[in-house]
Amino acid sequence: MTDAPLTPFEADDALAAEYVLGVQDLAERSAAEARLRRDPIFAALVSEWETRFEGLNHGFDAVPAPTLLPAIEARLFPKTSRPGSAGARFGLLRWLTGAALAASLAIVAVATFVPPQSPLLAVLATPDADLSYEVRQTGDALQITRVAGTAAPTGEVHQLWVIAPGASPVSLGLLAEGPLVVTYPAPPQGWLMAVSVEPAGGSPSGLPTGPVILTAFVASDA
Amino acid sequence: MDDPVANLIAKCAAQDRAAFRTLYRDSSAKLMGVLLRILKERAEAEDALQELYTRVWLRAGRYDPAKGRGMTWLIAIARNLAIDRLRARPVASSDDGLDTVPDSTPRAETRLIAMGEARRMSDCFATLEPDRAEAVRGAYLTGLSYIELAARHAVPLNTMRTWLRRSLLKLKECLDQ
Repeated sequence: MTDAPLTPFEADDALAAEYVLGVQDLAERSAAEARLRRDPIFAALVSEWETRFEGLNHGFDAVPAPTLLPAIEARLFPKTSRPGSAGARFGLLRWLTGAALAASLAIVAVATFVPPQSPLLAVLATPDADLSYEVRQTGDALQITRVAGTAAPTGEVHQLWVIAPGASPVSLGLLAEGPLVVTYPAPPQGWLMAVSVEPAGGSPSGLPTGPVILTAFVASDA
Repeated sequence: MDDPVANLIAKCAAQDRAAFRTLYRDSSAKLMGVLLRILKERAEAEDALQELYTRVWLRAGRYDPAKGRGMTWLIAIARNLAIDRLRARPVASSDDGLDTVPDSTPRAETRLIAMGEARRMSDCFATLEPDRAEAVRGAYLTGLSYIELAARHAVPLNTMRTWLRRSLLKLKECLDQ
């Protein structure tokens, strides 16, 4: 081991290793994730480090997992895994028991509660609901309103994405201080909506580059 | 190559829901262990587990068995998800959470050394200075950041970064032999 500066390849390789280790701060990590998406050589370095560290995975103890599979399936396969109105009632119950909801997941879509002219399509919220956005349909547009928390700090912005099953994320716009209104059809049930933290002005690549901080599936009990 | 987890992921990519259920049954305890170790808080780990399997189903088509084993791919997704959440937390709550799980690092690492498959890994860690080896392991298993590592080892942040980068490249040299 010498004190000579790292060669460009060594620096990239060390960066890939740092990303896999996870030691970077949020901004560095976001930059590495952005590069991962556009630079296949860097992505290959990351993949190699994941394999290199495989031997450490024995250090993770298995812990019995709760039976979350029904909830996951209900979200991924909404039509087949919710028999009739029982599922809708379950959704309603979860909406009413706010505490249980906050503890479980940042996903709700119970359109039965809101006026028909402005159906609630999804709620994107942190588990503690410190930050929460509501997505509503208004005519041929979507209106996204922050109902808790604050906008991203100066130099960053929250960006909203919609993801069809198996497809790449599509940006719906930037969530600044006021509500966002975007002309877009109501996404079908089962589509994913997400909010990522991006540099001011939005993702430079057209795909999420920063950490995805909120996700919610579109559900429709309307 | 016999890799049942890889086979299940490939079936998920082909929209096989029964395979997805089997994958959950066979891998969720390990992945819950990963999430809980890094996130420390059970409620958040359970929340993350749901998001994790959602991602696994949606990304299954991107898994390439030529690049690594199925469980390695799943653990990489779990670690990335947990670390993203950890880094997005307000700074104050990152080290003294209320309902935290005791860290089991020493026990896990002792066992690690005994496991044949990890032997080469531990041999290579032994080529590093002990505090640097500990920093790398601590980061991988518990999600420590550069800032936390620097504080723990009482060195400036840039020194920590230089140490760790050199150690990682040295580790690679040994592992790739």
